[in-house]
Amino acid sequence: MLRQETRDAGIAVLLGEGVRKAEERAARYDKAATWAVWSFAGVAIGILAFIIGTIFFRGITTALTPSFVFGKPQAIQAGGGIWPMIVSSFYLAFLTIAIVLPVGVGAAIYMSEFAKEGWITRLVRFGADSLSTVPSVVFGIFGMVIFVIYFGLGYSLLAGALTLTLLNIPTVMRTTEEAMAAVPHSYREASMGLGASRWETVKKIVLPSAMPGITTGTVLTVGRIVGESAAIIYTVGLFVRKIPTSPLQPAAPMAANIWHMYTEGALVSDWMRVANGEAAFLLIVVLVLNLLARLLAKVYQKKLGTKEAR
Amino acid sequence: MKAIDREWIIKKVLLVLAMMTVLGIAMIIFFVVKESIPAFRQAGLSNLASSDWSPESGRYGMLVFFTGTLATSLGGLLLGAPLAIAAAVFLTQMAPRRVKTVVGRGIDLLAGVPSIVLGWLGLTVLVPWIRALTNSTGTGILAASILLAIMVIPTITAISKDALEAVPRSYREAALGMGATRWQTIRQVLLPAAKPGILVAVILGMGRAIGETMAVALVIGPATVFPKSLTSPTHTLTTKILIDMGESTGVQRSALFAMGLVLLLLAMGMILLIRLVTRRMQPVR
Repeated sequence: MLRQETRDAGIAVLLGEGVRKAEERAARYDKAATWAVWSFAGVAIGILAFIIGTIFFRGITTALTPSFVFGKPQAIQAGGGIWPMIVSSFYLAFLTIAIVLPVGVGAAIYMSEFAKEGWITRLVRFGADSLSTVPSVVFGIFGMVIFVIYFGLGYSLLAGALTLTLLNIPTVMRTTEEAMAAVPHSYREASMGLGASRWETVKKIVLPSAMPGITTGTVLTVGRIVGESAAIIYTVGLFVRKIPTSPLQPAAPMAANIWHMYTEGALVSDWMRVANGEAAFLLIVVLVLNLLARLLAKVYQKKLGTKEAR
Repeated sequence: MKAIDREWIIKKVLLVLAMMTVLGIAMIIFFVVKESIPAFRQAGLSNLASSDWSPESGRYGMLVFFTGTLATSLGGLLLGAPLAIAAAVFLTQMAPRRVKTVVGRGIDLLAGVPSIVLGWLGLTVLVPWIRALTNSTGTGILAASILLAIMVIPTITAISKDALEAVPRSYREAALGMGATRWQTIRQVLLPAAKPGILVAVILGMGRAIGETMAVALVIGPATVFPKSLTSPTHTLTTKILIDMGESTGVQRSALFAMGLVLLLLAMGMILLIRLVTRRMQPVR
């Protein structure tokens, strides 16, 4: 009898001990995992800080002077600048935006305001999904075959812009659709209830309300275009001496010119300096565009917020 | 009547714009196939699928580059995916609000760093490090994998984060309420529930790694043979296309388009895989 009781008590103690141990282990794991995840996140941020820090530091200490930024490039001598490359980058970006924005926004309007779910929308989604997974170098050689050679545009800003239009349609479409999906349904119903047609509703109600999202998306797209290189090397060009003045002229966006400096580096003795400077300048442009996008979103939010409060 | 006509025209115009996506991908497939036909006709499939690339003697094998593409992207995923998923867990479950904004924005910014800039940094910083540490050229699969890891982190983090956020709050509360620690909740409840989404994130990361060109081109070598180690030069499909296209003609040029076709097929495979994964997770919802 007594022995039975002692045994039960013993088991209870052992069990309690086991549970306690398991709990302790769980707590230890929890602590270790928390620590590990924090340090992983730390590593990710550390990498970013290192990348930005190194590029900036090197760019600023070795290259970025006014005479470099605004200077003329040199093909065989040291001491060249990158002004035509900077202009090329932005020229290409604005030309691309001018084409991709109407197409992408139009497609998004169709998908979110006009289309009924069916085989057409499925087909369009499949097209957009496919375009967004095609590697950029494939866009590049496709653009070369069709725009540069077949349409006879030659290496030119226009050939590059058309190539980059295809590359960027999916993102412009997606950001626009997201912005339009955020517009409350009641707005549309109210507008159509007052007798406005679907298109009038889109033009006067949905698009203006979706503008902040579309603008932010556009600014970020500019950043992506300025940073793109593989798709433009065989469509736009790698090196120019003069600032391009027409869309039919070849140009040399910074991203492509860095590649040129690397592959044909031996031609100028200070090619590393030029590439360092361009890399730093590119990164600055991307950072500024990111900040601008965030700022615009904030400003719009405030504006819309106060309007609603009234 | 006139208003209706106008609406009809506008709708059709918008439809045409939407169809541009379909037209675009169709044209890309058409032209890449068309340009690669001479390679298939004159060199043949077994030639193209071999590992011998020596155009001067009529050998256009792409197996070395295909292997390079697989090796670098798997390496990138192996290094990058754990970091990215950890970052997503951190952002959704652990980070205090301030830290969350800083880390989240940092990772967004990482997505914006142009690949040529990252490649340039790889060439001038990473490659010399590897060279010093391993007593090799420093270029090759290891350097490319590290750069690709950095490039896939933003993609995988963003989508994994969405997947983790989509797990109903009640799951988490139930687990915590039963006395599970935070880590037990994350490992045994949240991650399994978010698994399909995380899988999609990893597949998309893989897609990005396979297609990446510039960053890899600067640190891969180049060489047209199988690498002897992780730190000896080789090539991937994208870098071979990029570097050779300018100077190629005839069958060689066509063989480069055939490599583009392989890349297209890989991309389409990714899409199908994602559709499969998302379809399988739908009934659960």
